[in-house]
Amino acid sequence: MTEPSSPFDEDLLAGMQQFFQHAVDRSRRSLEIAAAPPHPVGLTPKEVLYARGTLRLYHYEPQCDEVYRIPVLLVMATTNKAFIFDLAPGQSMIEYMLQQGFDVYVIDWEPPSYAERGLTLADYTQDFIPTCIRKVQEDSGEEDVSVIGYCMGGVLSLIYAATHADGPVKNLVCLTTPVDFHKMGLTQVWNDPRYFDVDSLVDTVGILSAESVTQMFEMQRPAQRLAGQLRLWDQILDDDFVDNYRAFNRWGEETLPLAGEYLRETTKELSWSNKLFTGELVVDGKEAKLSDINVPVLSIVAEHDHLAPRESTRPLLDLVSSEDKEEIMLKGGHVSLMAGPRAIKRMWPCLSEWLGLRSV
Amino acid sequence: MADKQNDQTAQSFSEMVTQWERNFDAFANQVMGTEAYSQAMNEMQKAQLAMQRTLNQNMGDQLANLNLPSREDVIQLTEMIYQLDRRLERIEEKLALNDAPKRNKKKPARTRQPKEADGKEGDKQP
Repeated sequence: MTEPSSPFDEDLLAGMQQFFQHAVDRSRRSLEIAAAPPHPVGLTPKEVLYARGTLRLYHYEPQCDEVYRIPVLLVMATTNKAFIFDLAPGQSMIEYMLQQGFDVYVIDWEPPSYAERGLTLADYTQDFIPTCIRKVQEDSGEEDVSVIGYCMGGVLSLIYAATHADGPVKNLVCLTTPVDFHKMGLTQVWNDPRYFDVDSLVDTVGILSAESVTQMFEMQRPAQRLAGQLRLWDQILDDDFVDNYRAFNRWGEETLPLAGEYLRETTKELSWSNKLFTGELVVDGKEAKLSDINVPVLSIVAEHDHLAPRESTRPLLDLVSSEDKEEIMLKGGHVSLMAGPRAIKRMWPCLSEWLGLRSV
Repeated sequence: MADKQNDQTAQSFSEMVTQWERNFDAFANQVMGTEAYSQAMNEMQKAQLAMQRTLNQNMGDQLANLNLPSREDVIQLTEMIYQLDRRLERIEEKLALNDAPKRNKKKPARTRQPKEADGKEGDKQP
């Protein structure tokens, strides 16, 4: 006797069953994620070497018995936390550099207090960075230091290096660092001096809130957040994807507020007058001419960088006087270049090789 | 068969999201990259700031009437503490210079050599 045939296609039924099962699993997983504590980040062992107000200087525990002679100091942009350099074990630029034999120090920032609203470029480049360099010299026992700056951290590093041309910087690496601020794309349009009243903003708020800073970043890619959430929903059963998403999401959500005077100064001096590019920038009475930089310089830029577009980063090598200078353009965006899953094969080896040859 | 269908659905969903994101961002950037948008956005910000200033002023007046410290007073106190903290820090730094080295961590040798061109390690590291 043959069984009565089903009025439905068996494959269709199986597909529907799987679809509903996945929908239930996804809902359960999304609840787990929503209830979970913040994703752990920045797990590579380190100690606070120095702390003052918004400033933190970390020293990471070396992971080799023999390290390069010259220590490395990473300078983070003031708008974001430095754990982007140390997102997760196996996806950490710092961990990679430690394993390659570098002695790594990092300048990180805490949210500036209202009392620090008056911080300026001079504070960051003539006080914070020099103090940290001194601390690194004392701790490592070495006079020379290599500096790596990321985004606006790169701008601060450039200003520091330009105003301390005879100083201890031995090598300078700029990661996605803009120098021609008139080529900053949307940011430049929104900062139009005819419409943007930076004085009124800074005088009223004192400190630009973290929400405003986040909004400024997100407005450049308005679909990114929703698209990310759709991708998360789609791949929510893939633990690696979820971990990666949560780590990046935490970094994006922990954007830092910005000291008002720093915003005023960078808007007027860099964004409006483009003085870093023209060589007219004066910080704390010192000329900050990029042409005064003559140490080896490496500029690493991302092909699809929407925050520091190619046109804004391109002139760096033409402006410095260094004989030993190189630009490397890699696939990726402003953040994925640094910490994306492919950074371990793309950016980090380039950085390690270039710096290793110059760190003895 | 069902698995294959689901994989295909997931793949096309992912492609659809990517395409939508690209198109939406491109369109939004076109709109937001105009002078008119910049003007409108900044005018809105000016209006918000004016409201905030008025609110701050009124709140300050009310707190003064109630004989309570205003935000400005608290900020002044914070700044005084911050300045004191800086002074203490400078004193501590000077004292630390006179102290014997406190930190006695084991430090690695700073003798590492870069990899040679043929890929051989130039040092004794694993």
